Amino acid sequence: MPSVSRQTIMLFRLLRFVLVLAIVASAQLSLGAVAQRLDQAPSGLIADQQKILQDLTAKSDNFEKKIQEDGEDDASLVDIRLQLEEMSRGALNSALAFRPRLTEINARLEQLGAPPAEGQPPEPDIVTSERQALASEKAEINAVIAAAQNLSIGISGLIDKIANMRSELFRNLLTKRYVLSDALSPEVISDANDEYAGLYKAVSSWLTFAFKFKFQAVLAATLTALSLAAVLFVGGRRLFGRVFEADPSVEDPSYLSRLSVAFWSTLLPTLAVGVFLVSTVFFFNYYNVLRGDIGVFLNALAAVVAVVFCVNRMTNAALEPRLPNWRLIPVETGPARWLVRLTTAMAVVIGINYFLSVVNDTVGSPLSVTIARSFVATIIVGVILILMGLLKPFRAADGTWRPWPAWLRYTAVALGLSTIAVALLGYIGLAIFVSRQVVVTGTVLVTAYIGFLSARAVSEEGSFAKTSIGRWLSAHSSYEESALDQLGLVVSVAINLMIVLVFLPLILLMWGFQPGDIEAWGYKLATGLTIGSVTISVTGILTGIVVFIIGYFLTRWFQGWLDGSVMARGKVDPGVRNSIRLVVGYIGVALAALVGVSAAGIDLSNLALVAGALSLGIGFGLQNVVSNFVSGLILLAERPFKVGDWIIAGQVSGTVKKISVRATEIETFQRQSVILPNSDLINGPVGNWTHRNKLGRIEIQIGVAYGSDARRVHEILLDIARNHPLVLKNPEPFVLFAAFADSSLNFEVRVFLADVSNGILVQNDIRFAILDAFKAEGIEIPFPQRDIHMRSTAPLAKWPTDDDQVEAEFAEREHARAKAAVPQPMIGRRKTRRPDPA
Amino acid sequence: MWKSLVAAIALLAVGGSAFAASAVNKDAETRTLVVTEGGGKTELALAAGETAEFCPNGCFVTMPNGDLEALTGSETIEISDGVARIK
Repeated sequence: MPSVSRQTIMLFRLLRFVLVLAIVASAQLSLGAVAQRLDQAPSGLIADQQKILQDLTAKSDNFEKKIQEDGEDDASLVDIRLQLEEMSRGALNSALAFRPRLTEINARLEQLGAPPAEGQPPEPDIVTSERQALASEKAEINAVIAAAQNLSIGISGLIDKIANMRSELFRNLLTKRYVLSDALSPEVISDANDEYAGLYKAVSSWLTFAFKFKFQAVLAATLTALSLAAVLFVGGRRLFGRVFEADPSVEDPSYLSRLSVAFWSTLLPTLAVGVFLVSTVFFFNYYNVLRGDIGVFLNALAAVVAVVFCVNRMTNAALEPRLPNWRLIPVETGPARWLVRLTTAMAVVIGINYFLSVVNDTVGSPLSVTIARSFVATIIVGVILILMGLLKPFRAADGTWRPWPAWLRYTAVALGLSTIAVALLGYIGLAIFVSRQVVVTGTVLVTAYIGFLSARAVSEEGSFAKTSIGRWLSAHSSYEESALDQLGLVVSVAINLMIVLVFLPLILLMWGFQPGDIEAWGYKLATGLTIGSVTISVTGILTGIVVFIIGYFLTRWFQGWLDGSVMARGKVDPGVRNSIRLVVGYIGVALAALVGVSAAGIDLSNLALVAGALSLGIGFGLQNVVSNFVSGLILLAERPFKVGDWIIAGQVSGTVKKISVRATEIETFQRQSVILPNSDLINGPVGNWTHRNKLGRIEIQIGVAYGSDARRVHEILLDIARNHPLVLKNPEPFVLFAAFADSSLNFEVRVFLADVSNGILVQNDIRFAILDAFKAEGIEIPFPQRDIHMRSTAPLAKWPTDDDQVEAEFAEREHARAKAAVPQPMIGRRKTRRPDPA
Repeated sequence: MWKSLVAAIALLAVGGSAFAASAVNKDAETRTLVVTEGGGKTELALAAGETAEFCPNGCFVTMPNGDLEALTGSETIEISDGVARIK
């Protein structure tokens, strides 16, 4: 199977892919390397680049041959393509190296000017010769760049060719038909025997070699790998033990804990085993223990062991044959055991078949062996699939066994039958592809699905607090239930993300995409994906976002430092502090956004285009918002009031709580928060009781009865005002003899207070004091009173006796008036009028 | 919140087209650049005053005066009086 060979290498490749993603951010730096080459002597430059290009050309010629030779091997084609892409970049870079020199030459040629036309005075020889020298150097450089261009075109052609060859290969793999009668002849057995002997010889000779000469290295490598895996496994068990171990004593575990146990108990041990295998292979390579084909065998064996282990773990975790309580799918114990066995058997068959295919490829055994082996494997897988479909895993209430739901049963049986049928028809490639996908993709998908389910269960309300992590957190930290709930949401998003990141590449790998493909996609995605004329660069955008977040937190920190340390100790007025803090915050965020946008590599002029188009709409739509925003800035700069001031704006009177960019929050004395748009505060009059200071005047009106001693009253009131402790001596209290009112002589006590917010208290005190003093002095505070003087008049006119006559006269008068009111011409007009046509 | 995030990213992506190289023709007549990119040559004709974006991933360009230059894909080419300058 060329399309899926060397699968263990893909683990390394995957690591490399992650590394590439991480490094790509610094990819632009590689252009800097080009710039450094420029300091070399110009003549050396041409020779150097020519040399580089010659090397690249030779390499590409080699690859062209190799493509023809290795046309059957998908992995090596992908590898060649990656190297070709690298070479293409190399060719471009080597052409780029001439840029500064070309600029110099062009500038100098411009300075020299055009050669003199005929009839003009000749120029000095030195100028002519310099121009010629420059022109010839330019021609040389152009030739080298043209070579680079040709090379780049050639490489692109090769890359296209590889793409075509690969799709052709895949088509061939799936559609090629083998003649089974040839493959299944008795000769196959002897061929297989030969192959087995070859494998035995290779392995045994390697074993003797390893134990004789490299025993210590083998021991060291194995032990290092083992200890790595042990650290991972034991550490993981220590950390997450409670999460992923099914506890037999729990009677009725929740769905979430069953899910998470299934998911983690598949993932963690598989990871541990994977680390062990990868590190074993790595250290064996590192200590040069491997020899010849053994490395390939070992890689294949590692892949097989990993897959079989993962499949077995997964089925065990989902079906838990020993602990019925913890089963994810409510099948009976007996069928559960059978299902685990069958799936493991299927994985083993596929694994062995894969391992043998690697051996076949390396030992170079005849095609018939390959076909016979694949045939047997696919038939077994098909039979197992049918068996699984026919299994009756459920038991009804009356004790009878019930089969799977119809769709599942039919899918499994159909898949099994079609695998067998395809194999019998001779399409071995297709059959083996399908059966391998059933096992591997099925396992990966099921694990991913369980992960998704557990992520969903975690995000449900209140469920995170019930998990062991949630319980631990609520015991060891001050998180409340709602915070835990939000944490659960975050965890669920993280799990989803992890599943996509881990399983998507895995599934792609299983479906015959090479690690190189994914690597190339990752590289493209990271550096810029071009759709039409738009280039989307994930790293650029991510960098921008990260830079913005860093800028935002820096701003917040600076704001806090400025406010808390500098201004608080500098005894700056709180209102000014607030203004400065807000303005610093806005400037910081705006700066962070600008830096972030430019770090994302976005040309602001492009945004200006969009903004220009939108500005009309924004101008109309956001008129109010913008006006409030600007008003807010004016408020911060002008500071007609500050936080804590007592202001009166229109109907609202209260204390300013917060000035933000769109609106200002005012708390009335009834403790109602009123949000006033800033433009109202700028455009309308605003009264501020505490603008420069809190000094303020209050007035108390009082009326005394006519007849009281007004001078005595004035004296008493002044006395009361002067003796109140909160009343200021300067400006002096003043008592105004205000009016001779209807029922009283009106006085007004006017006092100034240092803090006008105490006004109500002082008013109370003074009123009580006045009441007491007036009582003591016998001064009366009158009610409103009115004297009514009655004057005697002539007796009323007599009631008319003849009512009927008066009524008749009145009726006649009315009739005459009505007649006069009807206008004469109206009658004539009404006659000429026709009825409506309708 | 997701919607606004998506919208922001889309906007960033639209703005991100600055990754391509751009060419401006400041002359009064049409100028032609020959762009070699990914195995094919295309002629990029620029009308008077026109600006075009091209070559997002590096390419070779033949200037109107016959000079051949390589671009990484972030440059701006300015053509005036038939001479192209790379910035």
